[in-house]
Amino acid sequence: MFCDEALDAVEAIAGGDLTADGRIAEHLATCPNCASALVRARQLERVLQRRGVPQPPPQFTARTLARVRRARWRSDQFLDVGFNLAVILIVVAVFGGVWMLLNRTGLVAVTTDAADLFGSAFVTLVRRVAPSLPLYAGAAALLASALGLWWWAERDAAL
Amino acid sequence: MEPVNERALLERCRAGDESAFQELVDRYKGLVFALIARTVQDRSRAEDLAQEVFLRVHRGLPYFRGEARLSTWIYRIVANVCVQDSSRPATVSLDDERAAPVVPSASDRQFGDFELRDRLEKAIARLPANYRLLIAAHYLDGVQYEDLAAALALPLGTVKTQLYRAKQQLRRMLETDLK
Repeated sequence: MFCDEALDAVEAIAGGDLTADGRIAEHLATCPNCASALVRARQLERVLQRRGVPQPPPQFTARTLARVRRARWRSDQFLDVGFNLAVILIVVAVFGGVWMLLNRTGLVAVTTDAADLFGSAFVTLVRRVAPSLPLYAGAAALLASALGLWWWAERDAAL
Repeated sequence: MEPVNERALLERCRAGDESAFQELVDRYKGLVFALIARTVQDRSRAEDLAQEVFLRVHRGLPYFRGEARLSTWIYRIVANVCVQDSSRPATVSLDDERAAPVVPSASDRQFGDFELRDRLEKAIARLPANYRLLIAAHYLDGVQYEDLAAALALPLGTVKTQLYRAKQQLRRMLETDLK
């Protein structure tokens, strides 16, 4: 038995996973260096066993749940943005496709005439509506404020 | 926790029941926080990392098939979080430790438990992350070699060997400090 072998075993002996018997016990009884290592390994084992257990702060659960909710909200927002972008892309693709189809079939000329017709109708409508424009703008602003408040309240609730 | 209760709790968590997830956090926060706080030795960082563990648990719940025990899965997440954290740039306290090593005074040169405890914490901070985690976990109540082996995906013998090596390194560091 050499010191290297005995020194490799002292942690297992100190931890109670190995019993010092036979050659190891013989060596430990005759080698002061290895015997001292075993004493220190046992002291270390004792101190490690008595090491304090850190406790989480009192608000740990609440703070963890708040963090989980925030992360989920961010993930939901990310999904929403992705979904909206996908919808916009689909709408653009559909309109682009319809326009290309109309262009190929020569219906664009007809749609141009239709657009002119709608344009002149729109101009007439604007001229009639113009005097009441401040009233409509006020109503639109009121609606926008209400929607904004609703969105803000929903966001706070999600947090 | 009994397997049936654990399954029921997991099902409730998966169904989006927030009170179930709160119960899960309450059951495991002591273990998770103690493990991390012993490994990183900075309470505020430990809290941040412990929250990160539960965030990962929450994200991973839909994919957790229940083949391993919930505690084993959580240990594994703790191990990953600790190892990832240790690969970050060194913290100020560790830099300070390297810049100004503790020089024991004459009256300090005893291998008494009080001094040993103080030196021990400093020595543990110098261990590699996987050894720190093993030392932290092994001396917590209820954590068995088998749990560690399953969490770290290592054979039982390897876990024991690594733990002995960690303790051997600690003993040598403490002996060197006292010389």
